[in-house]
Amino acid sequence: MRYFARFRELAGVDEEYLELPSGSRVGDLIEIIKKRHPRFRNEVFAQNEEADVNVSRNGSYVSFDEELRDGDIVALFPPASGG
Amino acid sequence: MLSERELERYDRQIRIFGVDGQEKLKKAKVAVVGVGGLGSPVAYYLAAAGVGTLLLIDEQKPELSNLNRQILHWEEDIDKNPKPISAKWKLERFNSDIKVETFVGKLTKDNIKEVLTGVDVVVDCLDNFETRYLLDEFAHKRGIPLVHGAVEGMFGQVTTIIPGKTKCLREIFPKPLKKKENLPILGATAGVIGTIQAAEVVKLITGYGEVLANKLLIIDLAYGSFEIVELV
Repeated sequence: MRYFARFRELAGVDEEYLELPSGSRVGDLIEIIKKRHPRFRNEVFAQNEEADVNVSRNGSYVSFDEELRDGDIVALFPPASGG
Repeated sequence: MLSERELERYDRQIRIFGVDGQEKLKKAKVAVVGVGGLGSPVAYYLAAAGVGTLLLIDEQKPELSNLNRQILHWEEDIDKNPKPISAKWKLERFNSDIKVETFVGKLTKDNIKEVLTGVDVVVDCLDNFETRYLLDEFAHKRGIPLVHGAVEGMFGQVTTIIPGKTKCLREIFPKPLKKKENLPILGATAGVIGTIQAAEVVKLITGYGEVLANKLLIIDLAYGSFEIVELV
């Protein structure tokens, strides 16, 4: 797992290794992250389960439904909106 | 045709993309939508590069708390000159060879077609996703490239949308992010992201190099990280 920008501060780490059961999807990974990092759950997903989170897997953009494989590098980054 | 003065003025970049490239810049019309933190460096560098016509669009007047990042607006403009007018004044004195057009107002479904008439490239320097989606739809309808940029705090993102070739902005960011009031932002962040947007525009027009098509560049200045995420 790699965390970018504000997410890095919320997770308290820039990267970490996570073990998931085979067949897990990106959405399952997000649930694990919410449990591991309460600030993440409280500040990003407090009002909205479909919060503004962008996910990439091995450098490519993926949706929450995407199935994960052993060794995948998943990155989470918050989309910016200001100008 | 470029004048002797223009050949001299742009000499250092003509060495990159040739006189042809410079002529393409001169003939181009670029809309800078939002003349704030991103719009300031974008408009400034496009004026420097000799883009023939800049169209500046914004409905606001500068406020004191804008000046940490909106470097085309000065103390004398606060609450006085709408941002496109404030920017036009400086850009015309900076480069008298270019034309600076302004639209003081908000882009809407009803006026976008008229306001963006004849534009070759649109630069998204907006602060909200509602108007971004509107630009996205317009760009796709007209087949015009759109250079997206957005910033927050010390991070930001850039990607170039090319209708028919890349995903549209709404596919990349499907959830309309709420406009945040009093968003934290450092001027240098807008400077970095806006400058990259300006370079994207120059590449689109001159054909030099490769644009960030189907690539999302994510920069986090707080940790010195530059990442490219493939969007396909």
